[in-house]
Order: sequence, then C-alpha cells, then structure tokens
Amino acid sequence: MSIGRDGSLPAANPAARPELVRGAAVASSLLLILAGLLVIFYAPADSVQGVVQKIFYLHVPAAIAAYGAFAAVLIGGLVYLWNESAAADRLARVAAEVGLVFTTVALIMGSLWARPIWGTYWEPADPRLVSTLVLWLIYAGYLLVRRIAAPGRQASRFAAIVGIIGFIDVPIVHFSVSWWRTIHPPVEAATPAALPPAMLLTFAVSTLAVLLLAAVLIGFRYRLEALREQLRAAAQA
Amino acid sequence: MNEWMRGREFLRVAIAVARKDLRSEVRSRELLPALGQFAVLALLIANFAFDLEAGGPRIAPGVLWLTITFAGLLAFGRAFSGERDQGSLEPMLLTPASRAAIFLGKAAAAAALLAASELVMVPALGIFFNIPVLSFALAATLALATVGMAGLGCLFAAIAAQTRARDLLLPALALPLWIPFVVVGGRAVQVVLGGGGEVSGALALLADFDILFLVVASLAAKFVLDD
Repeated sequence: MSIGRDGSLPAANPAARPELVRGAAVASSLLLILAGLLVIFYAPADSVQGVVQKIFYLHVPAAIAAYGAFAAVLIGGLVYLWNESAAADRLARVAAEVGLVFTTVALIMGSLWARPIWGTYWEPADPRLVSTLVLWLIYAGYLLVRRIAAPGRQASRFAAIVGIIGFIDVPIVHFSVSWWRTIHPPVEAATPAALPPAMLLTFAVSTLAVLLLAAVLIGFRYRLEALREQLRAAAQA
Repeated sequence: MNEWMRGREFLRVAIAVARKDLRSEVRSRELLPALGQFAVLALLIANFAFDLEAGGPRIAPGVLWLTITFAGLLAFGRAFSGERDQGSLEPMLLTPASRAAIFLGKAAAAAALLAASELVMVPALGIFFNIPVLSFALAATLALATVGMAGLGCLFAAIAAQTRARDLLLPALALPLWIPFVVVGGRAVQVVLGGGGEVSGALALLADFDILFLVVASLAAKFVLDD
C-alpha cells in the first residue's frame, strides 16, 4: 500500500487542504488579471524592441516557475530515495507535470520572441534555449518512466533517479553550450536592476501571479493524486 | 577491512564483471558484428543522404556523432537486457559485492564494445568521406566521450531493462543526457577533422563530465539494481 508509509494520511498534509488551494486559486486568478492589465496598459514599450519585449513578462516567470517545479521534483526524489515517503513521491510526480507545462510555455514564448529580435525561431548557439529544450526532453522522459515502469515502488524509484540526474544535467548543458558559443543578449539586460520602475513592478506582479498559478496547479494535482490513492486503497481493503 | 582493501575488492569485482561480459560477447559474437554492420550502413546512408559537394570535412563530424549515439543506444541497451532475459542479474546481486562495482564493471564492458565499434566506424568514415582520420586528438575525444556516455547509458539501460517497452525508454532517457558530450565532443571532432587546432580544452571538459557522471551513475546504481 502506498499511503501512510510515513504514518500520515494524505488529507492531513497542509498542501492537500482544499480551502487553502482554492483560496490561492482565486488569488492567482486575480493576480493574473492584474498582471495582464499592467503588461498591456502600464508597462512602457521597450525603446529598442518595442512592444515585442512584453513577452518577457510571461516568458521569464514561466521559466522561473518551471525551474521551481523541477527543483520540487529533485527534492521529492531525494526524500523518496531516503525514506520512501509516499507524499514526497506524489509531490515529485505532480511537480514534473506542472513543470513540463511551464517549460512548454517558456519555450514557445522564447521562440516567438526570438523570431523578430534574432530573426530566427531557434538558435542553437544560445545556452538558455538549448538547456530549456533539454530540460523539457528530460522531464518528458521522466513522465514516460512513470508510465512505462511497473506502478508503485519501481516507478517511483526509477523516476526519482531520472529527476535527480536530469536536474544535474541541465546546468551542464547550459555550460557546454556557452562554452560552444553564444549570441544571446547579455544577462544584464534581463536583470531587474536595469529595468525602469514601471517595468520592474509589472515583472514582479506577473512573476508572483505565475508562480502562484504553478503552486495552485501543483496543489490541485497533489490533492487529486492523494484522493485517487485513497480510493484505490479503499477499493483494495 | 581497511579502506585500501575495500578499494581493491571494489576493483576486483568491477574487473570480474567486465571480463564476464566481454567473454560472453567473444563467445556468442552477436553484438560486435551487428554494431560494425550498423556503423557501415549508417555511413553508407549518410554518403547518399548528404550533399558531398558541401565538403567531406564539414559533414563528417555530424555523421560520426549521429552514428556513435545510435550505436551507443544499441550497445548499452544490450548490457542489461541479456541479464534480464536469462535471470542472471539476481544471483549476482545476491553476492555481497557492491552494486556500484557491478554497475561500473558492466559499464566498462559496454564502453569497450562501443569503442570496438568505433574502430570500424572511424576508418570507414575516412574512406566514405575521403578525409584523414588518423589522429591522437580524435581518438582521445572519442575515448573520453565513450566512457561518460557508457556510464549514463548503462544506468538508463538498467532502468529500461526492468520495464516493459525497454527499447522505447532508453533513447528517451539517454539521448537528452548525452547532449553535453555531443556539444563538446562535436566541437572537438569538427576542429580535428576541419584541419586541426586546439582541443585540449574540450578534452579536459569531457574528462570532467566523465568523472561527474560516473560518480553520479554508480551512486544511483544502488537504487536501480536493488529493485
């Protein structure tokens, strides 16, 4: 049985408390609307790139959310290998799905941004672009392991290994491509320090909104998985 | 048992496992002929699929890397599927031998088999694309890349072998993680086949990758083999 290995029922976990997740969902919806309004009406157009630069307000937060989700996969995997906690495994599983969604968003947004600015949808010399695609591929493989391995201990263990090694691989891909060559705009252009206050505020709100949305999705999926496991255990009992 | 004794025991197990795998390949002669054949066929396909007017030295590095990665999938996929089919892995795991040593032994044998197929691949590349391939830098690049790719590849082969649809899982897991080797090794092969130049930076990087991934993979092997 996969539930209660750590002695607690899934519903006892604060992350699975429905009213908390529901409240966060309402908050993230409101924040997303506010962020959208700020991006369209408040944030000034970039002096060089024009209105295209506004993709930044969704692209970068989505990438941050994806990395956050994959960090949760890493931590969940490590904890699972350490003590076989069902909750840690469940967190890793749902975070991988949500991370993959946000990586997809970041990739598509980045590609659409690259087209008018660099003149190409895809630039193999850019370390961030390549490492994000590899990230996507690794965690797609992670979900494939989940699907193909025998459900239960085997799938959880194997997926934990893939999640951990995948996380280690991504900075190495980034590093090897920067070693190879780079034409990406210098990192300074994207750091908050160089942004005027109006852009900074818009970026802060949209980042908060997107991160909260990712957390809400993880919370909903976590609860759903916990309930599903409870149901399965009840059916077996 | 002190540290030194334990290290010697580890090495002894790894070498014994590697020798076992290589001996079984020498006796059955299944994988090596298939790998050699695959290498020549892949190069022959590339010979016609690429426009050779663009210049052999410009195309050959890409062809070599495509062939190596897919030959690697073939070679490493066999490392654990045979054991799985014959149920011979379980008795080995019942011995007190360290899992990491067993894993590294199998990875070493798989790396040796891929390296042997590269001994067919590289001269064939030279002939098909009419380029000089005899170079120490090329051999060093391929040797270093093969070792690290074998470490990662065998770990995922061990995972894939224990699941259904094993041949589906190995490429999906191994290929993305091999990208650093392809990026750095690809550049080094381009430099070497493009007329030479400095590759010591690339070789040092590949050696770093090897150490990192061999350590990580042998740590992970405990969790993968114990299932």
